[in-house]
Amino acid sequence: MTSSANVGSVPIGARNADRDLHVRAVEHEYPTPNGAVKALARLDLHIVAGEFLCIVGPSGCGKSTLLELLAGLRQPTTGTVTLGDRTIIGPSRRRGVVFQQSSSLYPWLTVRGNIELGMKLQRVPRAERRTRADEELQRVGLTEFADHRVYELSGGMQQRCQIARALAADPDVLLLDEPFGALDALTRESLQGELRQIWQSTARTIIFVTHSIEEAALLASRVVVMSPRPGSVVVDRPLGFSQSGRTNIDLRADADFVETCHDLRAAITSTEER
Amino acid sequence: MTTAVDTTVDRADRTAPTEGRRVAWAARRNDGTHRVSGAVRAGSAAAAALIVLALWWVLAASGAWSEIILPTPAKVWHAFIQSVTIHDGRRGISNYYLWEHLWASLWRILRGVFWAFVIGAPIGLALGTWRPFELVAEPMISFLRSLPPLAYFSLLIIWFGIDDTSKVWLLFLAAFPPITLAVAAGVATVRTERINAALVLGATRWQLLRHTVLPSVLPDLITGLRVAVGFAWTTIVASETSNGIPGIGGLAWSTKKELRSDIAILCVIVIGITAVLLDTVLRLAERRLVPWKGRA
Repeated sequence: MTSSANVGSVPIGARNADRDLHVRAVEHEYPTPNGAVKALARLDLHIVAGEFLCIVGPSGCGKSTLLELLAGLRQPTTGTVTLGDRTIIGPSRRRGVVFQQSSSLYPWLTVRGNIELGMKLQRVPRAERRTRADEELQRVGLTEFADHRVYELSGGMQQRCQIARALAADPDVLLLDEPFGALDALTRESLQGELRQIWQSTARTIIFVTHSIEEAALLASRVVVMSPRPGSVVVDRPLGFSQSGRTNIDLRADADFVETCHDLRAAITSTEER
Repeated sequence: MTTAVDTTVDRADRTAPTEGRRVAWAARRNDGTHRVSGAVRAGSAAAAALIVLALWWVLAASGAWSEIILPTPAKVWHAFIQSVTIHDGRRGISNYYLWEHLWASLWRILRGVFWAFVIGAPIGLALGTWRPFELVAEPMISFLRSLPPLAYFSLLIIWFGIDDTSKVWLLFLAAFPPITLAVAAGVATVRTERINAALVLGATRWQLLRHTVLPSVLPDLITGLRVAVGFAWTTIVASETSNGIPGIGGLAWSTKKELRSDIAILCVIVIGITAVLLDTVLRLAERRLVPWKGRA
């Protein structure tokens, strides 16, 4: 395997063990009419605060399940998931989520209303809500669409709105479940750039589930490859392309990048053939 | 100009060999020409009304039936004039003007549906969110819904007398199941990702209800209200069969004694037009309150 520049680097100042996530001896089963189906088999993972962790794997490998466990939307069948030293027993605003479906946005609210929702639930005063929503609108480039209804936006803008809504609640960890899966290649590209920007400027932990190896290699400071059901970690390695400051076009032509993608792909293929 | 493609000629030229099958109904959907404007719809409705009126006039004028079986449009018009004026020293028909009859019925319906909304909507929320309650209460409400209101009207009269109370109870019981069950169905179909979106933003149980469930359920609530008002309106004549004057249903029912088919037809027209107007008001309210319906 080839080593890359800036291996596993975490933005300076973001190191804070209170915000590390630990997945310990987690197994997860779904009940079905034909008996339980094992989605995750004995998973251990230590996610360091400030990392940009991409979880890659074939469909049905339990990567979305893992994300839901981290979000607290599900409880593991066995094992524990902790944030710092606290066991996660349910969702909280410290762990924001960008969902795969943009239908998670509220059609009865405007773009601004959606972004302010988290602050409204925390009873943040109106003036402060407005200022912070303005910042997030600016960050994701939706300022001029602030008063539109979300169903009037394109798919890419809806996902921007979801990211802004999650960030406005000021979470420690941002969890994204194949957020760009339904977008066209060009929109996807620009959103990847924006997400990288957000990671570098806010120093938040980002956990990003995708089935695209290239997307993972472009974004991650660390990539985890999962095996097909029942999912477990088969590759866990740091990456540095995201922090290299190079453009996506540049990276795709880079021999090191190409080889990394190839290695990751080979790892996934070999697990599928098992 | 010889090279330009003239589509009108193309379409008209049915002698040329063709390829493919054109299903007109589906083709109009694809073209986007299947929608009919409000003006065309209103014009067609008016034209249809005129045709019915003309047919009625011809049949009545032919003398094939007596005036009691089929009164002329002119006679019904006369009944209408009488119903809104003082004639021979008497007000309207049965001592009330037409609008007083109509308002008496509307007021009963408003009260019945109001209580069905106030009591039914929260029960619907409880049905949708609290499983044990649903298991016990849902069959009872479904049972109530399946009953024709006349089936229990005698009981209501025995309990509450022949005045307005028993009528409002009847309309309430008719309107209650549709509202309750629509709200319960709405709660059951709130999108999981919308619930989760609120949870990961730190919503409490009550915030979830207030910010996610209630707005999600609003379209179903309005649908339930429309069904309820429609059902109450079809029940109104039944509720006014005893001591129903003033009341448009009571008036319609009373005409049988003196064979006043002209007033009966007048009542039918008024009841029909009012029902259509009521539903239109609710549809407009829906479009205002739920602009996202069918779009998200």
